[in-house]
Amino acid sequence: MRKRGLIDFLLPASVVVVLVFFYIPIATLVLFSFTSSRFLSWPIPGFSLRWYGELLADRNFWAALTNSAVLAAVATVLATTLGILGAFAWMRWRFRCQRAFQVLTFAPLLFPQLLLGVVMLLWFSVLAGWLNTSPGLWSAVIGHVVYITPFAIVIVSVQMYGFDTSLEQAAEDAGASRWQVLSQVTLPLLWPGIFSALIFAFLLSWGNFYITYSLSGSARTLPTYVFSGIAVGSSPIYPALATLTFAPALVLIVIVDVMRRRAARRRAGA
Amino acid sequence: MAEPRSWRDGAVRLTTLPLIAIFGAFFLVPLVMTAVLSFQGTQYYRLVWTWDLKIWRDVFSQWHYWSIMLRTLSMACICTALCILIALPVAYALVTRLKDWADHVTLLIVFAFLTDAVLKTFGWVLFLDRSGVLNGMLEGLGFGKAALDVLFSPFATMIGMVYSLLPYAIFTIALSMARIDRDLVLAAYDSGASRWRTLREVTLPLARPGIVAGAVLVFVLSLGVFLEPRVMGGGTSPMAAELIRQSFETRVNWPLGAALTLVVIVIGALSLALFGGLALGAGRRARA
Repeated sequence: MRKRGLIDFLLPASVVVVLVFFYIPIATLVLFSFTSSRFLSWPIPGFSLRWYGELLADRNFWAALTNSAVLAAVATVLATTLGILGAFAWMRWRFRCQRAFQVLTFAPLLFPQLLLGVVMLLWFSVLAGWLNTSPGLWSAVIGHVVYITPFAIVIVSVQMYGFDTSLEQAAEDAGASRWQVLSQVTLPLLWPGIFSALIFAFLLSWGNFYITYSLSGSARTLPTYVFSGIAVGSSPIYPALATLTFAPALVLIVIVDVMRRRAARRRAGA
Repeated sequence: MAEPRSWRDGAVRLTTLPLIAIFGAFFLVPLVMTAVLSFQGTQYYRLVWTWDLKIWRDVFSQWHYWSIMLRTLSMACICTALCILIALPVAYALVTRLKDWADHVTLLIVFAFLTDAVLKTFGWVLFLDRSGVLNGMLEGLGFGKAALDVLFSPFATMIGMVYSLLPYAIFTIALSMARIDRDLVLAAYDSGASRWRTLREVTLPLARPGIVAGAVLVFVLSLGVFLEPRVMGGGTSPMAAELIRQSFETRVNWPLGAALTLVVIVIGALSLALFGGLALGAGRRARA
């Protein structure tokens, strides 16, 4: 073994420093959500749950919460379904112009989100004019699907990498129909990837600001509700909102991790 | 593993056509429309179909646009350099030193990454504010009132940009480092190379595709940041995204907004093509 030097201390230390950096704003929000003062300045004079009460009494908060939930639910289902299809087309076969197909379905991930939103807004304004409506939640759903599908494709593709097709072959030889093979062999094997894609898509949509901001018209989701709120003046109800939404997100991510680990163990055991 | 199939195959059609329809209708068509729009004009806040180059002449002749574009580019370059410099040791430590902890650390980073960006920037404002947590702590340590007054400056914008884009750099670099054959590194040690030399001559060159990919991703995405300059920078030094938003919303000049959007997209696409080619080339050379 080599002797331990300064570097053996510095490398793990860099990880710790970066983690602290990542959690500075998050911890700050949690801290301020329990303040008893109406001003968000340090030090906090005392602890109270008053701002949670004020937040829950705000009708705009509930409207934004409903919009966020509907938008995220619909966008998640659509983006993950398209992500599964896309992963098959990316990984399982070789066909003509596959490269072009991959570029097309990956490109939105490489776009600054605001520009993606703006470019789509131009088109949706035209479409809405033809259809005699105006941009709203429906256009935000489409925007989220275009932005999130590439992430879903990548996540499901990772699960598909190294997929053992002989299992499908065996099922087919045993007389299973194509549909049976898909629903009883292929999809269950891909399930950990599909599940991560679902959670990832949900959280990406739930926390998305840029695309919703460009495309949702007058409908507000939680991020745009907070954005317009802090533009007018900060209030401790926003840290309270942050703390309330952190808990379920953390639970979802831990579930994904447990699932992934269990799948990895099963694969190692097999 | 990948089996050749033709476009006439039902499964290929089923998996590709829905995606082609959606990405065509809501990604390609809007891009083309943006390009078309940039050749039109406006009069009294209304779009006029002029088909000329007036907007493009404006965009390239006015110093105002140049200065904002140059600021955006230099901020993007600094942000990219910082992200890579920070991500390199972190990714290296995650892959080589902290194997037992790597999963948990990754999970913590993913959680921070997926949290609502508006809330995170607001958290930074509360932390960096004159009467915020940082200055409160510094005052407690005897540094006096508002010792570090950095909020609403380009410096604060940079903190926010690095904060939101660093995960991309860490993950791409860690991914490419994890794929390095451990035996190559051990072989270098066995033949007497020092750790520093092994890092410089074996690990870094092999991780180059990941480093370049991370850098390009951070650079392209940092061209479009809007929340950080607005909320943390206080709008004092606007960047391209703010300019684009203003031309659409405040000035209602859609052709101008479309042209500026295209400028940013073209810069992003060019750097992608350039460095993407570089990363692929490096990967091929490393494997050979």
